[in-house]
Amino acid sequence: MRQNRSMDELSNTDRYLDYVDQAAEFLRARSDLVPTVAIILGSGLGGLAEKIQHPIAVPFPDIPGFAASTASGHRGQLIFGELERTRVVAMAGRFHRYEGWSRAEVSFPVHVMARLGATQLVVSNAAGGVNPKLKVGDIVVIRDHLDFMRGEFQPTNLIPRGSSFAEETSEVSPLRHGDVYDSDLSAIAMQASRESNFAAYEGTYLATLGPNYETRAEYRMMRRIGADVAGMSTVPEVLAAASLGMRTLGVSMVSNVANPDSAVVASHDEVLAAGLAAEGKMEAIVRAVLRNICSHSTGLPASDAGQSK
Amino acid sequence: MVADDARARYDTDLRLTRPFIFCLLFDDTAMLDLFDKIEDACKKIRSEFSKTPKVGIILGTGLGGLAEQIEVEASFEYGDIPHFPTSTATSHRGRLVCGQLAGVPVVAMEGRFHQYEGYPLKQITLPVRVFKALGAELLVVSNACGGLNPYFSNGDIMVIEDQINLMGDNPLIGVNDDRLGPRFPDMCEPYDQQWIDRAMELARRESIPIHKGVFVAVTGPNLETRAEYRFLRMIGADVVGMSTVPETIVAVHCGLKVVGLSVITDMCLPDALKPADVNEIIATANAAAPKLETLVRGIVSEAGQVRIA
Repeated sequence: MRQNRSMDELSNTDRYLDYVDQAAEFLRARSDLVPTVAIILGSGLGGLAEKIQHPIAVPFPDIPGFAASTASGHRGQLIFGELERTRVVAMAGRFHRYEGWSRAEVSFPVHVMARLGATQLVVSNAAGGVNPKLKVGDIVVIRDHLDFMRGEFQPTNLIPRGSSFAEETSEVSPLRHGDVYDSDLSAIAMQASRESNFAAYEGTYLATLGPNYETRAEYRMMRRIGADVAGMSTVPEVLAAASLGMRTLGVSMVSNVANPDSAVVASHDEVLAAGLAAEGKMEAIVRAVLRNICSHSTGLPASDAGQSK
Repeated sequence: MVADDARARYDTDLRLTRPFIFCLLFDDTAMLDLFDKIEDACKKIRSEFSKTPKVGIILGTGLGGLAEQIEVEASFEYGDIPHFPTSTATSHRGRLVCGQLAGVPVVAMEGRFHQYEGYPLKQITLPVRVFKALGAELLVVSNACGGLNPYFSNGDIMVIEDQINLMGDNPLIGVNDDRLGPRFPDMCEPYDQQWIDRAMELARRESIPIHKGVFVAVTGPNLETRAEYRFLRMIGADVVGMSTVPETIVAVHCGLKVVGLSVITDMCLPDALKPADVNEIIATANAAAPKLETLVRGIVSEAGQVRIA
């Protein structure tokens, strides 16, 4: 009989929050840095992880409650350090639903990073271009999403408003997310694309469960329902961040373009190669956002205890 | 002491797959179990049927009659094959028939498994992997479905051109077993174009009215509302059913070519919708069965004459 995927229910219990606390406690013992920004580095964008200064890397499997990432092109480390004079915690590698992890497991690291102090989330991914205007290597700044991970429009799975954790950290209503993707951060990202002279568009990200690539009929459906790019990640993490009141920037790198009217075979190697080529663009955006955050860093934890030695 | 050892081993095993706190809720080794399950099922079938089947056939609702045309050399109740679930759907027999059709060795499922019966997709699609392991090169999959395209009529047959997965699940979730297929299967041509053309030509030769179009799979078991029919039509589907898509995804994953045949048993025109009558649907399927049998027989006969893989 069908497995009872009750993991999502667990996110509504205090138990889940206990696990978040355990993981945060473990990580504080490894690094006393208090991050301002959490970054999730997606397919082929792991290179930015190398550029983090004073890094302290913690492999995912060591962290209580973290799963072990299995997708190729994903490293599987949490890295504390500094980038553009901003204290960051970066996930090099992430968890995907198609690997068998539940929504609660996939978004677990976001809860932990928020617990550690991160108030902003930058999330990146490689995605298939659905909108015909997109070319391989283009950047899409995510302004909204369609959650098709279960082939249906999902109610958001969030920490209930009544929980102490939500009260402590949430500034937005967890039940309705009008502006899940922060408009100011998006504007900075678009500005960065003009400054560095590369094509970027604002658009809608559609999340599928995967792992198979889409059929042509599915791509046509996605166009009709208003998607610009499609991928297999990001939405669970972003919804978790929204429930925690984090300001979120989502950036997609177009790694292949859907061409439903002429069958072209998609390959994961191609996705990785396009990721490498577009990495500079993603980096320019992330750096611009971090610079901006750094220059407006009022209201952030005053403690300098997090500075790495 | 012994208990401690067992406990330690248990913890280690789980550590390999997922963190302890999450492990009890999931069976994420399922994908890695498949290889052995396929072997077990093959061993049982080979013990009574030594030929290498060229074609695997899945017979859907009301279409079991085709099995009568097979010169049976061995047959198994599903319950007698290791790891096969038992079919519970109306008018599904629940028997694997091995023998010759049009002089070509085949294995045929008389009755299939559905997600709405409560089976996980991995289990539903196990027979497809068994077909492949037995040596089959082509999968012929049939179903009864609802017609959305207004130019279709009850009792018509459609060759499946492409598919949309709205089942909210995927049979490939979990750690991928690379022995069985790739992590990210391409789906730009899930149904083999050459075989689509052959099936269309065969129908014309036999003077059977034939359509070609897009099949959308939903979970069921309730039939769709009028609003849902409009939605499914709007996203590009010609027919809707509750099966076939998982089997096709797995066939593509493991490298089988697929021909899909849908019998339209119930026109679903949202602006002139009548309550569905299951008995009527089965009667329509039975009435259309001879046409389907002619087509399947013709496809199998051609498969016996050409190199497929």
